[in-house]
Amino acid sequence: MPEHDEKRWTCEEFEKALPDLFERAEGGKLSADPRFAAILRDCPQAAELVRDLEYIAETARMLLEPEGEGPSSDLWGKIEREITSKDSIQ
Amino acid sequence: MEVQGYGMTQNNTTPVAGHFKRNPPIAGEADALERAKNGDPDAFSKLYALHKRRVYTLCLRMLGNVSEAEDMTQEAFLHLYRKLGSFRGESAFSTWLHRLTVNLVLMHLRKKGLQLVSLEETINPSEEDAPKRDFGSRDPRLSGSVDRVALERAVATLPPGYRLVFVLHDVEGYEHNEIAEMLECSTGNSKSQLHKARLKLREILRQNEHAALVQESK
Repeated sequence: MPEHDEKRWTCEEFEKALPDLFERAEGGKLSADPRFAAILRDCPQAAELVRDLEYIAETARMLLEPEGEGPSSDLWGKIEREITSKDSIQ
Repeated sequence: MEVQGYGMTQNNTTPVAGHFKRNPPIAGEADALERAKNGDPDAFSKLYALHKRRVYTLCLRMLGNVSEAEDMTQEAFLHLYRKLGSFRGESAFSTWLHRLTVNLVLMHLRKKGLQLVSLEETINPSEEDAPKRDFGSRDPRLSGSVDRVALERAVATLPPGYRLVFVLHDVEGYEHNEIAEMLECSTGNSKSQLHKARLKLREILRQNEHAALVQESK
């Protein structure tokens, strides 16, 4: 993101630009990008926000593999009946 | 239910590399897939057993309703049964199945009442649902002990528009351009909705942490 290389941010500008900055950050990890080290050091509230949002995004990746309950046990029976009835029509 | 034009064919579901990484092949899947394509009902039953939880969970997260999630899981597998022959293995099977499911759920949502206006307008939640944030304000940071159960619960309470974009991007791993295409909105809107969703989640998680602390101190 060359346009951000030399930019001197205010805290407010940085927070407003976050949706775009997160999208462009390598692996979504803004806090590891040296170009933002200064603003994150100078704006503790922005640093905490970035840290929390990165943490939420990282934890979200763990949700891909479900741990909760699956569909009810009779769902397969319903699907099977639908398939059988449609196959017999065709 | 026909979902032509919603990326159901292999050509329209070109996955990003991350989808291969996040959806590695499951043991026994390739064999079941080949047999199911040749009409083996036991093999299709095996595919159902392998993928039912992830398909159901995806439906539940997108819809926020158990009954509708069951119906859409059924619809997804019936659709899979009819379309299995068009899967050519150019992406991970689960990536393809999830895209099929996402498209069906979005079509269902549009049929429920979102068809007259674009999702771009309707996914924007009301002011009171939007994350509350003043620039420069110092909020208490998350403790770092937020686990997947706490996050799952918080995601379930998000306004529907935020939840959709968050689940598609941060959980399922879709890129903003893919989400924009699916939701018929701009990539900028998708980015903005994702950011608001994360801000809202932070707010909900902080409130929950605070409530737990208060409870403990009693």
